Amino acid sequence: MNGSRFSPFFAAIASAAALLLPLPHRIYGQDSPAPGMSKVERKNRAPISHDVLRVKLPKPVEAKLKNGLTVLIVEDHREPIVSVQLQITGAGALFDPPNLPGLAKITAEMLREGTKSRTSRQIAEESDKLGATLSAGSEFGSFVTTFRASGLSQNFDSWFSLALDVLLNPTFPADELEKIKQRLRVQLSQQRTAPNFLVDERFNRAVFGDHPAAIVSPTAESVAAMTTEALLRWHHERYAPQNAILGIAGDVRAADLIPKLEKQLAVWESSNRKDSFSARPLPASARKVYLIDRPNSVQTTIALGNIAIDRRSPDYVPMVVMNHILGGGPAARLFLNLREEKGYTYGVSSNFTARRYPGPWRAGGNMRTEVTAGALTEFFNEIRRIRDEKVSEAELADAKRAITARFALSLEQPTETLNFAIVQKVYGFPTDYWDSYPAQVMAVTSDDVQRVARKYLDPDTMQLVAVGDGRKIKSILEKYGPLDVYDSGGQPVRISSDKTTNQGPAILQQPNRK
Amino acid sequence: MKKAGVYLSGLLAPLLAFAAAFLDGTGTASTQNAVQPGKSFDVAFKEFTLKNGLRVILSEDHSAPTYSICVTYNVGSRDERPGRTGFAHLFEHMMFQGSDNVGKGEHFILVLNNGGSANGTTNADRTNYFQTLPANQLELGLFLEADRMRSLKINQANFDNQRQTVQEERRQSYDNRPYGKSYEAVIETAYDNFAYKHSTIGSMEDLNAAMVRDAAEFFHTYYAPNNAVLSLVGDFNTDVALRLVKKYFESISSQPPPPAVDTSEPEQKGERRKSMEDAFAQAPRIDIVYKVPPGNAPDSYALKIVGEVLSGGLSARLHQKLVKEREMALSVSAGPDERRGPSLFWISIMARPNVNLTELEGLVYKELDRIKVEPIGDWELDKIRMQVRRRQSQGFYSTRTRANTLGQYAVYYDDPSLINSMQVKLSQVTKADVQRVAATYLKETNRTVVTTLPKAKPASDQS
Repeated sequence: MNGSRFSPFFAAIASAAALLLPLPHRIYGQDSPAPGMSKVERKNRAPISHDVLRVKLPKPVEAKLKNGLTVLIVEDHREPIVSVQLQITGAGALFDPPNLPGLAKITAEMLREGTKSRTSRQIAEESDKLGATLSAGSEFGSFVTTFRASGLSQNFDSWFSLALDVLLNPTFPADELEKIKQRLRVQLSQQRTAPNFLVDERFNRAVFGDHPAAIVSPTAESVAAMTTEALLRWHHERYAPQNAILGIAGDVRAADLIPKLEKQLAVWESSNRKDSFSARPLPASARKVYLIDRPNSVQTTIALGNIAIDRRSPDYVPMVVMNHILGGGPAARLFLNLREEKGYTYGVSSNFTARRYPGPWRAGGNMRTEVTAGALTEFFNEIRRIRDEKVSEAELADAKRAITARFALSLEQPTETLNFAIVQKVYGFPTDYWDSYPAQVMAVTSDDVQRVARKYLDPDTMQLVAVGDGRKIKSILEKYGPLDVYDSGGQPVRISSDKTTNQGPAILQQPNRK
Repeated sequence: MKKAGVYLSGLLAPLLAFAAAFLDGTGTASTQNAVQPGKSFDVAFKEFTLKNGLRVILSEDHSAPTYSICVTYNVGSRDERPGRTGFAHLFEHMMFQGSDNVGKGEHFILVLNNGGSANGTTNADRTNYFQTLPANQLELGLFLEADRMRSLKINQANFDNQRQTVQEERRQSYDNRPYGKSYEAVIETAYDNFAYKHSTIGSMEDLNAAMVRDAAEFFHTYYAPNNAVLSLVGDFNTDVALRLVKKYFESISSQPPPPAVDTSEPEQKGERRKSMEDAFAQAPRIDIVYKVPPGNAPDSYALKIVGEVLSGGLSARLHQKLVKEREMALSVSAGPDERRGPSLFWISIMARPNVNLTELEGLVYKELDRIKVEPIGDWELDKIRMQVRRRQSQGFYSTRTRANTLGQYAVYYDDPSLINSMQVKLSQVTKADVQRVAATYLKETNRTVVTTLPKAKPASDQS
């Protein structure tokens, strides 16, 4: 379960597509060996039920407490456990002060490090003794802080009141803050060894530019500047019940629980605070290439894409279908081409992030250094193909069927049902949104797929980021557009290439904006 | 234990994989006597054996309109011989490359297009394949698993293609990330017997040397119905399911049983140490392992409790001592991995840069000694029981977790009912047992210590 579940919701589900028009013959990049004839093939002999199993998502019980808190409860008595998820809008990392990136995240993570009546250690011991879990966090780019707790239903009252103490009465003790700061300092340096972090950092910077969603990490300076007072203020001002949704799933009885919640949560007073965020990132308007030089890298980690849509966009459902066909999992075009036919990679996929503001569509994966050129060729081939050629009716039907049939699986987990309900609330969708969702998916046409591919997947404006051994891949990347080179510390550098002469100084510049 | 899979969803590299067995759904199950009135924790199932020796486990449960199918083959990297490491896992990839009635790549296409999910994984002791599907596609899952068990198609082009894919998996999960090679260094140093001394992912050289003709023989030897367990959990009628299982599987020929593997280890007579450099690491990591009995041995349950006392939750002893109190470590984990043969009790510490590693190691031993001489607290025993129950319930919403767990216990220990009795066994562990197993196994002569250090930078980089 992760915090971003409700943004690229369907984009995150493994998806499918049946492709399989014969691929046009292509010339392979000079670095890639000609592959054997390993071809994906459909025999269509499996026994399949042609009905899509129609499922109706259970509707949660909904209540609004006197302090303005919205409560959603999904009763499910299969297992004797309960999961709690509280989302507080306006307390997310997107609202971090510009000089304190990480404030929302550190405030959330510090909640369990001390309350007015309990020390960090007492909280740890009590929650462990009760068999409960307690955690909180805020992802960079997010509107919300998410607070989570879970435990057995037999002692729900005990662990839930501990959770409320942690949520409502934190003291952020200075000595505990200092310990967390020390650990964060090490993590800030460690994350720079991970290609995934390096690619995320640069890609977000490339597509979001000056928008605060470009930020993916605290800095050494912001960590040093965090104080107990700043955390207390953030908590006091932004943890406001009227901006929050409390979701509870599992072995509880809503009718008994709601009056109890009204009583227990009465001390959480509402305020006038209402946060909105109007700045919308614009897509970059020209192709730009970024290389993060990571000496000793045996793979090139690639990300490419650009800003696409927000969650309420009318193009959302067509994008779900388009992405499904192109890169949504091990039956999608990118996987079948770059892995199953070419053997370039263990995993390749695409996804898109759609929140209250537009987020990027993005494709990527890890490729061995030697096939970097071939992999880039195929990424762009697949992007051009979905723009230039209409998907076949069969491929489209398969994708729509995959997306709608997948609903049945979400009924295994009560927290999935809860997540659906939270998405509906957060984005202000009609109450029958999920009931009508399959019909929306089924209404998507091949023209729609091509239209959104042309609109949001423009090879001429895509931002391309590669993390790898600069000496070996710089000359390949240069062919794709103006190139900036950074070291793994995030600093612009100049490096020479094994293949070509030095291209002159790398220039640090933001992509052009429309 | 480190697993390798056919497909990793998303772009993230896998996390360290030796977390306590509790966490991966293979560990625990709750008991009837701990049940509240009106609630059943038990996973009810029925067992059958087909004429060809295929063992079938059916667990009917109508709480969601889904089911999971898992086929667990009794083969893993322990069956490999020197020069052919990585073969069992490479072969697992070949199981998605087509059979008589399923094309290359069509397995994923069929499952996903019908709303399902699928994957396969290999570890030292078994290989499993699983699908979760909407309930109306019962026949699809059975057809797919039966067709590849009966008639896998192996050709050179597909073999070469998957060899490359697996080599990328190795680069992504081991060679291109910090601490990626520490796991292999530990098992190579701690184990004497080749069966567990090498990793499931295998070496690049051996993967290059793998030959397509070996794959045909491997399939013939190990992928026979009498060397597999089929488990089905979810929304079906048991009689109907059994009839379909027979229809699809019963005519597949059985084979002579594969050769038995000797995983036994000579007694370790002294501490082993190894230090290595890692070009991607920024801070040291210490791995301390002790050889312990197989996963289902009586002492293994007390060792699981020791692991929880040391690192289960933020109140656990090593976290409190090393991370919070002394601030010498970023994180720590401890617990036995679960193997069918000699297992490892594994303590892994991510150290802070520039701490005194000898002192840090000494603090760990002091905590181990405390467990040997002082009974653990009642609250510690209680908290472990509560945590285990919650984790198990959380895991058992999923039909896939149940199907995989039933299959694994059947193949590992010939005892699928362990899914329900595991928690009884854990609850029977006494404080004296905890002290005894700590004293018996967590001792210097039985220890291997591997230290991974950041690679010293060449002088030119430091200026």
